[in-house]
Amino acid sequence: MVAIEKELPSVAARPAAAPATADAIPLALRRSGGSARQVLALSLIGALALAVFASRDLSTWLDRLGGGPVLEPLQHAAAQWNGAMDRLGLTRPHDALRTAMRRLLDWRWDTLP
Amino acid sequence: MLFPTSGFLLFFLVVAAAMAALQTRFTAKKAVLVVASYYFYAQWDWRFCLLLAASSALSYLAGRLIGATADRERRRLVLGIAVALHLGLLGIFKYFDFFVLSANELARMLGMQHELPFLEILLPVGISFFTFHGISYVVDVYRGDVAVCRNPLDMALYMSFFPQLVAGPIVRAAYFLPQLERPSPEPIPIAPALLLILLGLFKKVIVANYLATGLVDPVFAAPTSHGGPDLLLATYGYAVQIYCDFSAYSDMAIALAALLGFRFPANFNQPYRAERLREFWQRWHISLSTWLRDYLYRPLGGNRHGRFKTYRNLLLTMLLGGIWHGAAWKFVVWGALHGGGLAVERMLEPWLGRHCRTLPARIVATLVVFHFVCLAWIFFRAEDFQVAWLYLAGLGQGWSGGLRQAGPLMVGLIALGLAGQFIPDRLFERAAAALGHMPVWGLGATAGIAIAAIGALGPEGVAPFIYFRF
Repeated sequence: MVAIEKELPSVAARPAAAPATADAIPLALRRSGGSARQVLALSLIGALALAVFASRDLSTWLDRLGGGPVLEPLQHAAAQWNGAMDRLGLTRPHDALRTAMRRLLDWRWDTLP
Repeated sequence: MLFPTSGFLLFFLVVAAAMAALQTRFTAKKAVLVVASYYFYAQWDWRFCLLLAASSALSYLAGRLIGATADRERRRLVLGIAVALHLGLLGIFKYFDFFVLSANELARMLGMQHELPFLEILLPVGISFFTFHGISYVVDVYRGDVAVCRNPLDMALYMSFFPQLVAGPIVRAAYFLPQLERPSPEPIPIAPALLLILLGLFKKVIVANYLATGLVDPVFAAPTSHGGPDLLLATYGYAVQIYCDFSAYSDMAIALAALLGFRFPANFNQPYRAERLREFWQRWHISLSTWLRDYLYRPLGGNRHGRFKTYRNLLLTMLLGGIWHGAAWKFVVWGALHGGGLAVERMLEPWLGRHCRTLPARIVATLVVFHFVCLAWIFFRAEDFQVAWLYLAGLGQGWSGGLRQAGPLMVGLIALGLAGQFIPDRLFERAAAALGHMPVWGLGATAGIAIAAIGALGPEGVAPFIYFRF
């Protein structure tokens, strides 16, 4: 038994040879970067920017989750937040983009400018 | 839980916070990722998690058993049982009702009264992908290409890692398991990962979703109500839609894995610029085509036993690749077209090599390959075989009506999707390098604003990714 166990590494636990598969992110781009904390900071800042400029989507998403004692206060807060962003004019870029896209969708060959 | 949703953003924030808090505690990080992955999977149906756990346990035990003996016959027996069990699970969930339907149709044709009952079980999302992971692991252990995984946590993470769990890329054990032995010394490539996420969101939310709702779905739903120009544009539209949909998922999976400190292989490389069908498969769903090559085509004999057997092996491999996509004859035809195309191309290779060297000849070759792929997509996308034939018949008639369904935006999106196939790689590298110079807060704000813009430009709600159903 001991003899078999000693033999095994050469049979089964050969050093892993990764297949010749190209990394999706090339080595040159992986030489510089950040830490897990920076990833968290970046995600939080990104989420904040989204909450500011896409406050309507945040409110819609929370409304879609249904009701309940936890969700209802959150939905109320999101609606108030969206109202505040609206008053500050920060929802205008979002609305403008949406309107522009609708116009593009409505274009037909005979109505092209 | 889909990547381009607020729910996923919240989920990722929690995972990122755990990764940041755990810093150098690598085992704890892996444990958190396993829990997060199972939570992610349970959002579809918690019962799927039992299947995933069973598949992981099977792979782990088979690997240990194969590694525990030097007896060739015993190793082969364990491998055979493990592969059969993996395929059995896949077969029951994915193909059982298809075989029952085919058997019942055959019985009716033969005038038999008795019909087999259907199981009508829900197809677990991503079952094909984790089955492929499991098979690749046990086969690689058997071949000695990968060390036996002795840590169940590592096996659980390899099988369930959430970025690739439901739609790939198929990450080989030999590629991923070594990354679980120790934390990567490399920094996290934040800028390229962010760029991939933004690119993926744009392709999925804007290009794929609008092409689907504005052109492809209505035309494929009623091909007889549309003229030739719309049918042709919808075919091109589907080629762009499926590329943008699937490659977007891969881009985001690669980026999410990178942000968590792991490397994934490339899965797409501008497939519609291919000058040969063989090259197309070296650029399209690379992780599946290399999987089929290494675990199916080569074990069948590959190109080692003469021309005829090479053609047979190509055809068989692509037929099985087609059936992998779903239990339907249309996928069989799709696979047969690609298998047959690859065999014919191989037959003609000496001639092609001599005549396709000049730029005009290469352009013609690219156009021929693209249109052949589009022809196969018609079978892939059509509701069933009959609709595919109606669609093909429609392409040959009614060319006087002009474009009715395909508006300027749809044509623009198709042009954009096809133009994207010819963008040089260095453009992505330059953009990522430029983003890399920005401070973290600037990157975060830029990403947030860009995502908000993509969300505003996209339609309400996000359709599931096409490859979820495979």
